Amino acid sequence: MLWISKLSEMEDEEIIKDNTESEGGQQSTEANQGKNEIPVQPENGIEKKDISKKPLFVIVRSFFIFICTVLVILAMALFILYVVPVLEEIFPRHKTESANIKELNKDPVYKKQMGLLTKDIQRLSLRFNAYTSGQSYIVINTIENKFALYTNKKLIREGFCSSGSYTMLQTSGNKKWIFKTPKGKYWVHGKITNPVWKRPDWSFVEEGSPIPSENADSRFEYGVLGDYALILGDGYMIHGTIYKRFLGMPVTHGCVRLNDDDLKVIYNTLNIGSKVYIY
Amino acid sequence: MEIKDGKKRHFGKITFIVLISILSVLIIYYSIMSMLAPVRKMEEIKKEFDVKVNDKNGIDRQVVNDSSYLKLLKEKAFLQSRILLAESDSIYLTLNLEDSTANIEISGVVVHKSKMRSFKSSKMLLTGNDNAILSMLSTPFTILYANATIKKEPVMIKMAPKDTSEYKPDIMPDTSITEPVNYILEMNRGIRIYVYQEENIKFSERINQIKFDLKDRLRDTWNALKRIAVFKVPEYHPFIKIKLPRSDAKIIYRAIPKNGQIAVFS
Repeated sequence: MLWISKLSEMEDEEIIKDNTESEGGQQSTEANQGKNEIPVQPENGIEKKDISKKPLFVIVRSFFIFICTVLVILAMALFILYVVPVLEEIFPRHKTESANIKELNKDPVYKKQMGLLTKDIQRLSLRFNAYTSGQSYIVINTIENKFALYTNKKLIREGFCSSGSYTMLQTSGNKKWIFKTPKGKYWVHGKITNPVWKRPDWSFVEEGSPIPSENADSRFEYGVLGDYALILGDGYMIHGTIYKRFLGMPVTHGCVRLNDDDLKVIYNTLNIGSKVYIY
Repeated sequence: MEIKDGKKRHFGKITFIVLISILSVLIIYYSIMSMLAPVRKMEEIKKEFDVKVNDKNGIDRQVVNDSSYLKLLKEKAFLQSRILLAESDSIYLTLNLEDSTANIEISGVVVHKSKMRSFKSSKMLLTGNDNAILSMLSTPFTILYANATIKKEPVMIKMAPKDTSEYKPDIMPDTSITEPVNYILEMNRGIRIYVYQEENIKFSERINQIKFDLKDRLRDTWNALKRIAVFKVPEYHPFIKIKLPRSDAKIIYRAIPKNGQIAVFS
C-alpha cells in the first residue's frame, strides 16, 4: 500500500498547490487590479503549477494511476486464483488416528477385529489374484500399437502391431463406417490357417468401386491376411499383413495386424477361449 | 474553477480508497467462505460414510481410530474397490498413491502400468486415515465429466470417392505430431483427478499447461463467486493431481471409457 500513500501525498500536494494557486491567482488579480504594474508571484507556486499543467506530467500521472490500478486488480485476481486454493487446504485436520495404545492392544475386542480384518484381506487378495489367468493371454495396446503375450502370468513376447485407424468413411448417401479396434475383454473364438479375406462392402466403397454381390469372386482375396488368423468375433481378427512397414501405426480397419514371426508364436501359444485384452 | 478541480481530485481519491476497501472486504469474505468449503465437504462425507459406532456392534471408537486397524482397513477398501471393478468387465484405472502407480486394469488383469513422477493431493484424502474417507474410497469413483487437451477418439472423416479414378491410397500416418496431454477427470462424490504430462520440453507446452490450469481455476472461481453472491459456501472438490509421462497419460485417457471408473488407494 506504499504506492497508495505516495499517491495520496502527491494528490494532497496538488490540492495544496491548487489552493495556493487560486489564492495566488486571486492575489495577483487583486494586485493587478490595484496596482496594475507589478504582478505578485507566490513562492514556488508558479513553477509547480506550470509543471502540473504540463501535458507530459498529466500523461505520466495518469499512466502511473492506470498501472497501479491494473496491478491492484491483477494482485487481487492472483490472490483469488492461486492463494485462496492454498488457503482452502489449511482446513482443520480431521485426523482420528491414534497409535500404540497398550490397553487397546490387549483388548479382546480389538484383537478380534484385527483378526477379522486380516482374514478379510487374505480372502479378498486370493479372490483378486484369481482374476489373472495362469493360462496364456494377449494384451493389445491400441494407442501405442504394441502387443504383449503372457503365459503363466509371465511376459513371453512383445512387439509392434497395427490397430484401427479411427477413420470414419462417409459416402455422399450418408452411410458411415468407423475403423477402430474395439476395446475390452475378448477371447479367441477360432483359429484358422491360410485365411482368406472376404472383402466387406466398405472395402469397395473406400476404393470407389461398385459393391458386388454377397459371394462374388471379387470379394475374396488370398494371401493378404498372412498365414494365420485368430477370430475375436464381430468380424474382428488378429492376422498377418503384407503392409509390414505400417506396423506400430494405427492403419487398420479394426483388426489387429502382426508380423509373420509374432503371429506364428501367438497362434501357437493361444488356444480357443484364451483371453484377449484390448485397450 | 481550480477549487472545483481540487475537490474533484479529493473525491476521486476517496472513491478510489472506498473501492479498494470494498474489494478488500469482498476478497476477505471470499477467502473465508472458500476456507469453510472443505470443512463443509468433510462434514458431508462424514455424514454419508462415517462408521456408526455403537455398543451393539462392539466396535468402540478407539479401535476404529487405531492406526494399525486403519491401515488394514485401507488395504481392504482398495481391494474391495478393485474387485467390484473387476466384475464390471470394463476398462478401469487404479491409482495407488502409496506406491505412486497408475494402472489400467481389465477384469482384474493389469494391462498397463505407469509410474507417477509426482503427485499432490487434498489434505482431506491424504490424512484420510479417517474412517469416513476410507469408507468413501471402498467403492470406486465414476467419471462424470472430462476436460482434456486431447480428443478421446481422434476420429478423422474421409469422404468415399465417387469412382476408382478419385481413389487415393492411404498415406502413412504422421506419428511425429505430439500434442500436449493434460486432463481433468471430474468424478462423482465431488472428487477431481488432474493428470498432467510430465515432460514440458517446449516452451509452448509449458504455456499450454499454464493456460489449461488457469482455465480450470477461472471456472472454479466463477462457480464459487456465484454461490458466494447468494451467501452460500462454495463447493469444494477434493483433488488428486498427478504427473505422468506423456505417453502414459495419453494411454490412460484414451483407454478408459467416457464414464469409466477409478479405484483410489491413498
